Amino acid sequence: MIELHNVTKFFQTKTGKKYILKDVSLMIPSDKNIGILGRNGAGKSTIMKMLGQIEFPNYGTITSEKTFSWPLGISGGFVGNMTGKANVKFVCRLYGKSKKEMSEIISFVENFAELDNNYFYMPIKTYSSGMKSRLNFGLSLSFDFDYLLIDETLSVGDARFKKKSKEALLKKIESCQILLVSHDMGTLRELCDAGIVVNNGQMYYYENIEDAITEYTEINKKAG
Amino acid sequence: MMKKLCYNMFTRKKKGSTILTKRSPIKIFFAVQNALFLRELNMRFSSGKLGIFWTFFEPFFQIMIFIIIKMGMFGVSTNGFDFAVFLTLNFIVYNMFKNIVIKSSNAFSANKALFMYKQVKPINTVLARTMLELFITSIIIIIFLIIGFYFGYDIAVGDLVMVTLGFIFLLIFSFSFALLLAILNVFTESVGRMIGFLMTGLMFTSAVFYTVDMLPHSIQQILLYNPLLHFIEMIHGYYFVSLNDNYVSYIYITIWTLSLLYLSLWLYQKLEKRIISL
Repeated sequence: MIELHNVTKFFQTKTGKKYILKDVSLMIPSDKNIGILGRNGAGKSTIMKMLGQIEFPNYGTITSEKTFSWPLGISGGFVGNMTGKANVKFVCRLYGKSKKEMSEIISFVENFAELDNNYFYMPIKTYSSGMKSRLNFGLSLSFDFDYLLIDETLSVGDARFKKKSKEALLKKIESCQILLVSHDMGTLRELCDAGIVVNNGQMYYYENIEDAITEYTEINKKAG
Repeated sequence: MMKKLCYNMFTRKKKGSTILTKRSPIKIFFAVQNALFLRELNMRFSSGKLGIFWTFFEPFFQIMIFIIIKMGMFGVSTNGFDFAVFLTLNFIVYNMFKNIVIKSSNAFSANKALFMYKQVKPINTVLARTMLELFITSIIIIIFLIIGFYFGYDIAVGDLVMVTLGFIFLLIFSFSFALLLAILNVFTESVGRMIGFLMTGLMFTSAVFYTVDMLPHSIQQILLYNPLLHFIEMIHGYYFVSLNDNYVSYIYITIWTLSLLYLSLWLYQKLEKRIISL
């Protein structure tokens, strides 16, 4: 359960306030995989971050007793000078993992990310962007959250790795929910039960992802 | 067919399906602090073997240069204490303050990417950098003690308890000042640029090269407004038996420390969310 209570969010720009949400109250039920839809710049990612409580509304409150992951697809938290392993260790420590859990997570991530030539033990700055995302994806799969926040990029790595990560994600969402920001209707249909459409400072919740997709298509048509 | 659940549709409340064991806030705080500290340590020393070398030998060379200049210009001091030890101590104290402030002043922007982990708050990053500087300072002190002992310098401490208290007092002062500058640095770029000047100014006005007693009365009256001078005067006053803390106003530095701490924490809690969503 995520509750939004009179939430207003805007960004101050040179031409005035750009509203993402204007006085929105909404209740998002648990046990649903939720896709977030909206046109470019409507504020999907901002809303996802607000639901995950790493971005805050200007007015109003968002409350939830659930735990949220960091947004997947963003690998900015890695230190270039540190090895892949050291970066994984850092995240384990942030979540207060014990030594035993830590070594389990490390070996899981190492296996999952499939970094050749011992890249796992080399500084992150030597990684390609694909390798970084694979590491980040493996890392987020090895923690337990109520919700996984996923921003667009499910498409990491080559075709084979894509298939592997999708399978891993499908297995993962048996035990947790996702908040997914995507423009790919196929992915949304496959992974999500319910949908949120963001438009003109409002957000609407649809119990069925198909309804959300229909609404989103109409918004796009109107906008031409 | 379309169900729009908008505008105060607070209807059915269902309990969460699984109740996860939540960590207590204090446990989270220490886990985050520990992770950040080790990360900072790793960052500082993973930039190559020279990273470690310079961290410890930069102050050594700095002190050597000033000792040579001083000895060359004024000859060997005969004030009843070893001038080399005096200068080394003052530089260690001053460098600790300087490094905490400089390294923390850009802690928010440098660690921006970490705020995507919900449990990492901006203040954790400043605290981690402060702790790292304390750690490095401790190692430098040990290195200098070994060097001093080996070469037969008079490194005996007059009052160890008061010297330690002086360091702790200065640590709180430095952290408060660093947090304040870190916050201001986010909103005005000029703060970051001013820190360099400020630090150079403080080096010459903070009793690093002299004791207050050596100064003419008129200059004393001005320099005593500088709180850092009181801290350094206090620490070397208690370190050397032949020196004293007669010029130190403990009320003055307590007021400075508490005001800075209060102001920086007050500003921080007002602006925390804005700093996170930079």
